[in-house]
Amino acid sequence: MANHSNQDYHRLRSGLTLYPAQYAALDQTLADLTQKLPAQLVVLTDVSGQLVAARGEQERINLVALGSLISGDLAASQEIARLMGEYQDYQMVLREGRTAHTFIVEAGHHLALLVRLSQEVPLGWARMVIRQGVHQLAEIAATQPAQPLESELAGSVEALLGEEALPNLFSEALDDLWTE
Amino acid sequence: MFINWQLRELNLKIVYYGAALSGKTTNLEQIHAKVDPRRRGELISLKTHEDRTLYFDFLQLELGKISGLTPKIHLYTVPGQTYYEASRKLVLRGADGVVFVVDSAANRTDDNLESWANLQTHLASFDILLTDIPIMVQFNKRDLPTAMPVPLLRHILRLNGQPTFEAVAAQGRGVFDTLKAVVNGVVARVQSEIA
Repeated sequence: MANHSNQDYHRLRSGLTLYPAQYAALDQTLADLTQKLPAQLVVLTDVSGQLVAARGEQERINLVALGSLISGDLAASQEIARLMGEYQDYQMVLREGRTAHTFIVEAGHHLALLVRLSQEVPLGWARMVIRQGVHQLAEIAATQPAQPLESELAGSVEALLGEEALPNLFSEALDDLWTE
Repeated sequence: MFINWQLRELNLKIVYYGAALSGKTTNLEQIHAKVDPRRRGELISLKTHEDRTLYFDFLQLELGKISGLTPKIHLYTVPGQTYYEASRKLVLRGADGVVFVVDSAANRTDDNLESWANLQTHLASFDILLTDIPIMVQFNKRDLPTAMPVPLLRHILRLNGQPTFEAVAAQGRGVFDTLKAVVNGVVARVQSEIA
């Protein structure tokens, strides 16, 4: 198997790889946001809709489905803004509800954030705190650890994805999925 | 592709693309019906009042652990109707693999060609060539009396080595073979990228 440096992770096309240290930092940022606002729910996805992490009241919510819709919603909003000539980074969409408000915000090139909060939380305050939060999230995602821990490299992405038997393992796993 | 190293999850995005009414949503419905409910999520469909795809359909599949990673496959369809041009491009963003669904009926040739060209245009806007991404071509509706011969369809679409599959998605035929091929294609592509 080839020996790869940490830089190789960037070669994957849509590839965002989160290391434990990054994930922990993202999760902590979500926790801080939840507490500071305060928010009822915060959900972080990547821009293609894949769930990264969530904090707050998640019971009875299908987070996977929500993730796909958050990214779709944000992508549509970005495109609307672009068509209107008003596109800007860190696009923020607010939905005002009767009892709760929902923000969907771009967090850099890779991530999207949903925040739901009570209508009692002042919107100006919420906007400011969320904007700070998404900049922080984007910075964490963009910063690859310079020296991954030995334990992280022990089962590195390349080591796993480079396995010769991987296609067969995927085929078998897919066969198991099908009930025919 | 998105790898969550902390959760040891490998997420892949597969997009079903093709002309209106070619059978993209039907593919996902069949997959939803045939996969063990414990291994798949809900089928999310954003439809118009006329039951046509407005934005996308979405289905997540979860494979068993492979080398310590849990692969999750996210399946999307695009809206086929010409009108939803912008939405198709948005859904295509970040795709790791594509299934191009062709309606085999003779009177749908122009629609298939337009959609095929449209796919290439959108991929090009992301700086991706047809040869850069695993694309499986599914010739659907093979049971139609007006279905065109497969060699002719290949010729008309000027396929450039993309694997093809015959299907009758409404009966589940060819659906799994296509899915399996595109996932394997994505895995092979990822392996070649890191080699």
